[in-house]
Amino acid sequence: MREELIEEFSTVREVNLMRIKEAKDDGRKVVGIYCTYCPQELVLAAGAIPVGLCGTSEAPVSAAEETLPRNLCPLIKSSFGFAITDTCPFFHFSDLIIGETTCDGKKKMFEIMQDLKPVHIMQLPHLNNTRASFDLWVDEIKRLKLRIEDELNTVITDEAIWQAVDMINREKKALKAIFDLNRADPPPLSGMELLTVVWSRNFSSNKEEMIGRFNRLVDETEYHSQELGKLAPRVLLTGCPVGLGSEKVIRLTEELGAHVVAMENCSGYKTLDLLTDTEASDPFVALAEKYLAIPCSCMSPNNYRMDLLNSMIDDFRIDAVIDLTWQACHTYNVEAYHVGKLVKQKGLPYLHLESDYSSSDLESLKVRIEAMLEMVEK
Amino acid sequence: MADYREMWRSLGMDLETHDLLCEALPEAFGGVYLTQENRPQGMDFYDFVVSEIHGVRPAELIEHRKSGGKVFGTFCVYVPDEIIFAAGGIAAGLCGGSQFWVPGGEKVLPANTCPLIKASVGARLDKTCPFFLAADMFVGETTCDGKKKAWEILANEVPIHVINIPQMKRDADIDFFKGEIMNFIKVVEDFTGNKITPEALGESIKLINDKRKALQRVYSSRKSAPVPISGKDALLVTQIAFYDDPARCAQMANKLCDELEERIQQKQGVFPENAPRIMVTGTPMAIPNWKLHHIIESAGAAVVVEESCTGTRYFENLVDEQGTTIEEQVKALAERYMKTNCACFTPNPGRIDDIVRLVEEYKVDGVIDSTLQFCNLYSTESYLVKKELVDRGIPVLHIETDYSDSDYGQLQTRVEAFLEMLQK
Repeated sequence: MREELIEEFSTVREVNLMRIKEAKDDGRKVVGIYCTYCPQELVLAAGAIPVGLCGTSEAPVSAAEETLPRNLCPLIKSSFGFAITDTCPFFHFSDLIIGETTCDGKKKMFEIMQDLKPVHIMQLPHLNNTRASFDLWVDEIKRLKLRIEDELNTVITDEAIWQAVDMINREKKALKAIFDLNRADPPPLSGMELLTVVWSRNFSSNKEEMIGRFNRLVDETEYHSQELGKLAPRVLLTGCPVGLGSEKVIRLTEELGAHVVAMENCSGYKTLDLLTDTEASDPFVALAEKYLAIPCSCMSPNNYRMDLLNSMIDDFRIDAVIDLTWQACHTYNVEAYHVGKLVKQKGLPYLHLESDYSSSDLESLKVRIEAMLEMVEK
Repeated sequence: MADYREMWRSLGMDLETHDLLCEALPEAFGGVYLTQENRPQGMDFYDFVVSEIHGVRPAELIEHRKSGGKVFGTFCVYVPDEIIFAAGGIAAGLCGGSQFWVPGGEKVLPANTCPLIKASVGARLDKTCPFFLAADMFVGETTCDGKKKAWEILANEVPIHVINIPQMKRDADIDFFKGEIMNFIKVVEDFTGNKITPEALGESIKLINDKRKALQRVYSSRKSAPVPISGKDALLVTQIAFYDDPARCAQMANKLCDELEERIQQKQGVFPENAPRIMVTGTPMAIPNWKLHHIIESAGAAVVVEESCTGTRYFENLVDEQGTTIEEQVKALAERYMKTNCACFTPNPGRIDDIVRLVEEYKVDGVIDSTLQFCNLYSTESYLVKKELVDRGIPVLHIETDYSDSDYGQLQTRVEAFLEMLQK
């Protein structure tokens, strides 16, 4: 039953491609997003379908390199490459693209992407602990609302926003429940299964259906009986986002006999504790509060990420931490200094990897992961 | 250099390692600078400053501290020096420009980080630069990912205030920056113990404007053919301006200009009148980074203008001096600083306009767009720079480099091929 459900998740992308095409034919709008900071509640409130467009495949990278520097994050190159070669149907269907100034590479890439599609760029503040940053972000969310209304020729009511808030809150809770299954030892879900499940949500045209599916997975997952003394190392993956296509570190780690039991990244646990306050009077303020709290390394300082890692290491009974930085992602790369310190303070092995989407470093990654796993005391 | 060992020791410097730097510098400077022919006499001052680089100005900073003053280390042309001087402080631009400091930075930063950031962090952590140790407070900003995150690491080492630079230039963003300047005033007042009055701020606005005007005058002289001063020398003037006393900076630059203008009258230049005229644009070249200029000028072309932070971005645009209240003055400051066009802004069409305008003003034959390694901002924007210049039929070469000499030969070849193309 559980296997069937996981299988269903792996077909979400394909199934929804057809559905989105049909929805487009019926006049529904599609909005492409690239980041967890994007308040997708506004997209939903506009009656449009949000789709996650972050590129996770190496295929279009070389096409992107004709325009973008080679020495740039593979996620950005892959995303841009899909756009410029028109090989991502979800990008193709998008009526509006929402970008943010989360990092230098994306910020500048979006300028060039404007030649291909209408792109709205939200200015994300660099610091999340000042009043001025907060006010700026509230204004940016309001500005986004106006742009969506304008671009999609619709009106977004507060009521529709609150409905979307409720839906996204429930989606987060359902996803968190799935991740939390893996607090058990041994973990009921492999890292690859976990990734398949969470990644599928980027492509769904029907959030309620997905939430139902998430909840069913939680209900139908059974815990394995423990075989004491034979337990595999429990690895926490942190750092840059990972998706299907860029999962090589998860795959290698599990092939080496360890479990990737949790992921603290934007495709994982990072945002799952953050719910929009439904008691607030102003939906824009409530959304701003939630989104600005996201512990991405683009914020300075980013203390909440350290708190989150600290508690995840305890809650998920972590034996070792792998911190994955995509090439040329400076914010995660530099912040690895603090993550490494924290993990070592907790007495655990820590491995910082810098990689890209190619398979050229698979052997060396394997050797390094293996060496780290040997250090795990079990 | 005179004997400053006692002073260096008092700053807690690592003297043995620092000696290695002191030994290498005269030869490096001599090879790049003193071999040039027909240099303006006004460059004597700048040669002297370099020969005493870790002595004479640090000694002044230490004197200032002894009399109760504070020294602020800054790293960006968006930091309003006016505020610091208005509070009786001294601002010194500290960006590291030498490979010497890079390994020190790599102890805490990824190797794949911009060399300017690594060198700046390394100079402080390794205790091999008196400027970095003489600063009581560092002023950081959020201009790029690397710097933004590096401040978090340096914060364990020295008091640091980070100015949040907006990433767009709409009216609301200029207001936002006004707010950041107001915060900065408070921070500087608290740290120095001195209240910033409108009178003091008015004076410091004028002080820094005068410095800008003097540097503008140096650059204006470079519009002439033959060019009366080499690109290397002009770059050195700008580099030193970042940490010199602003009044002296203006005075010495103006003195140099008297001579340069005399040279223009007499059609006297440092390159033949028909030498290719090159603009260098892109990332800053902090002292002692003279690599690209040396390659270009050794190949017989003249660098006539730098559209960079160690160039026009530093001194173009003056602050309006009419304001009589802090509110008005801060508004004028915010407006002036937000006119500076760095790739950290999105979009940044002003920089492309600047490049096109400067190509005309300085009668530029070719543009070399130079990016320090791992600077995602300038390397991505280079696409837009190239597109505009190609559309206009202006030759452009994009290079990516660092502080090491490992790519020297390769750069030389590329620059020479580019210059050859210009002469056809």
